[in-house]
Amino acid sequence: MINFIEISKKFKTDFWTQYFWALENVSFEIAEGHIIGFLGANGAGKTTLIKILMGLIKTSSGRVEFSTKLGKNQKEVFSNMGLLPERPYFYPHLTGNEFIYYLGSLNNVSKIDLKQRINYWAERFKITHALERKLKTYSKGMLQRLGFISTIIHNPKMVILDEPLSGLDPIGRKEIKDSIVEINKEGRTVFFSSHIVPDVEEICKRVVFLEKGTLLYDGQIDHLIEKNMKPNYQIKYYANDEIITQEIPIVEKEEFLKKIINNNQKIISVEKLRPSLEEILYNIKTK
Amino acid sequence: MNDINDFCYKCYVVFKYTFFEIIKSKVLMNVFLLGLGLLLICYIAYSFTYGVPERVVLDVGLGMLSLSSVGMAIFFGVGLISKEIENRTIYMILSRPISRKAFLLGRIMGMVGVLILNILILSVLTLVLYVFLGGSIQSLILISIFFSIIEAIIVLLIVVFFSLITNPTLSVIYTVVVYIIGHSISDTMINGFAKKSVIISSILNVYSVIFPNFNKLNLKDLILYKQYLPFTTFCGITTYGLVYMLFLIFITSIIFERKNLD
Ligand SMILES: Nc1ncnc2c1ncn2[C@@H]1O[C@H](COP(=O)(O)OP(=O)(O)OP(=O)(O)O)[C@@H](O)[C@H]1O
Ligand SMILES: [Mg+2]
Repeated sequence: MINFIEISKKFKTDFWTQYFWALENVSFEIAEGHIIGFLGANGAGKTTLIKILMGLIKTSSGRVEFSTKLGKNQKEVFSNMGLLPERPYFYPHLTGNEFIYYLGSLNNVSKIDLKQRINYWAERFKITHALERKLKTYSKGMLQRLGFISTIIHNPKMVILDEPLSGLDPIGRKEIKDSIVEINKEGRTVFFSSHIVPDVEEICKRVVFLEKGTLLYDGQIDHLIEKNMKPNYQIKYYANDEIITQEIPIVEKEEFLKKIINNNQKIISVEKLRPSLEEILYNIKTK
Repeated sequence: MNDINDFCYKCYVVFKYTFFEIIKSKVLMNVFLLGLGLLLICYIAYSFTYGVPERVVLDVGLGMLSLSSVGMAIFFGVGLISKEIENRTIYMILSRPISRKAFLLGRIMGMVGVLILNILILSVLTLVLYVFLGGSIQSLILISIFFSIIEAIIVLLIVVFFSLITNPTLSVIYTVVVYIIGHSISDTMINGFAKKSVIISSILNVYSVIFPNFNKLNLKDLILYKQYLPFTTFCGITTYGLVYMLFLIFITSIIFERKNLD
């Protein structure tokens, strides 16, 4: 849907300092239909890339190409995209309803549709009671939920979320994650940045990993995990009223289990060890 | 044609919610109460002296209306666009199918709406009291109010322009400087010293072409001496104001179009 082609971006913080490359030769594609995780530590360049994508800042070199499925010109493309910026700020004196109407009108969504969609999502996020209140009375989590609603109010084909889970409690994170999965099932592509690996691992099949402005990995999470799978099993069992956890190489697994059974000890679990993305990425970095 | 329609519609949407947002901050309420207080004090103070109370009310009222709207133009204008960038609200808006020009124009129109409303409220307040005290409304007073609107809009456009190229503090300072110079430039040009020096007078000439001459919009003396403003002069001044506004909008939109929004 969206192709990043050799994107580089340099910043100059002030007149005397040297250039600083926030992005260097980043190329990858956001394929249609997936939820794509966009990982990177603080300052890796995620937000910068998203700003470039939305035409808010210019690249130093390289370009972004949009597939014709999104539209023929910028206006059409932008009608089919929804962006939730990082740490968004909301007009304090507008009410929740007014805010959504404002942004929805910019997307030419009719009043009737707006109303219906607001009702649906506000109900889901349990902020219906606050829709007539000024935004300055909203809590951080409520604002984040409202921001999410405004991002998808026009049924975009492509949704870009810059750290949508930051500042949310566990319930809020779950709600938003479920919603992301839901809108993806409806056929919307989701590109979502985060520096929290388990969140990405939970809902994404593909990841793009950025480190200090360069692309480190772009592909399936499963592949990555498969490649980095440790050839070990983790076995938990009871011995003398104590839970013992042991890592055993695959080939010795049967022998070991036999021994436990013979000793009349109770097996709790046998699990193939799955490295977390965190460990894998750490591996890539240190290589 | 469709594009123009869409452009106007997007402008209108931004205008509407910008206007609401500022109105709901209750600033006009405060200005209204302040104005009412000030005029009442005037009235009370002057009813104990031998003066012409209605003239004083008119003078204070028109002055207050012009100053308060210029103050509001600067205060809100400096953040009108720059605060949107700083707070990243602009990302949520410009990532939708709306051009930067439409957004800029909508924001400015929203603020202009607030300024006009402010001026209308204070004018009604002033004129009611003025008539109540026995004054009679002349067209010159209405023209003067109209010129106050033009002045406030120009100041607004100036501060928006500066806010796009420098930081808020400097924007305010520059705008205030332009405003003050714009009010004194005619006096300086008449001044004998300036006339004698070719360099100074040519600098002043260049300046008066580039920068606004707010004195043209000030009819206080005319009102005071009950003079008459010829229709052609009125048209001339209005045209001057409109051309100046268009010029500022043109430059500002070019700058905004190219600006990196980070
Ligand atoms: N306008 C700017 N001027 C100078 N440097 C900038 C500018 N914007 C971003 N940077 C720098 O570019 C780098 C990447 O920033 P960016 O905001 O894209 O990081 P990020 O991956 O979004 O991080 P985070 O997870 O903290 O949001 C940082 O080192 C940042 O300091
Ligand atoms: Mg970021």
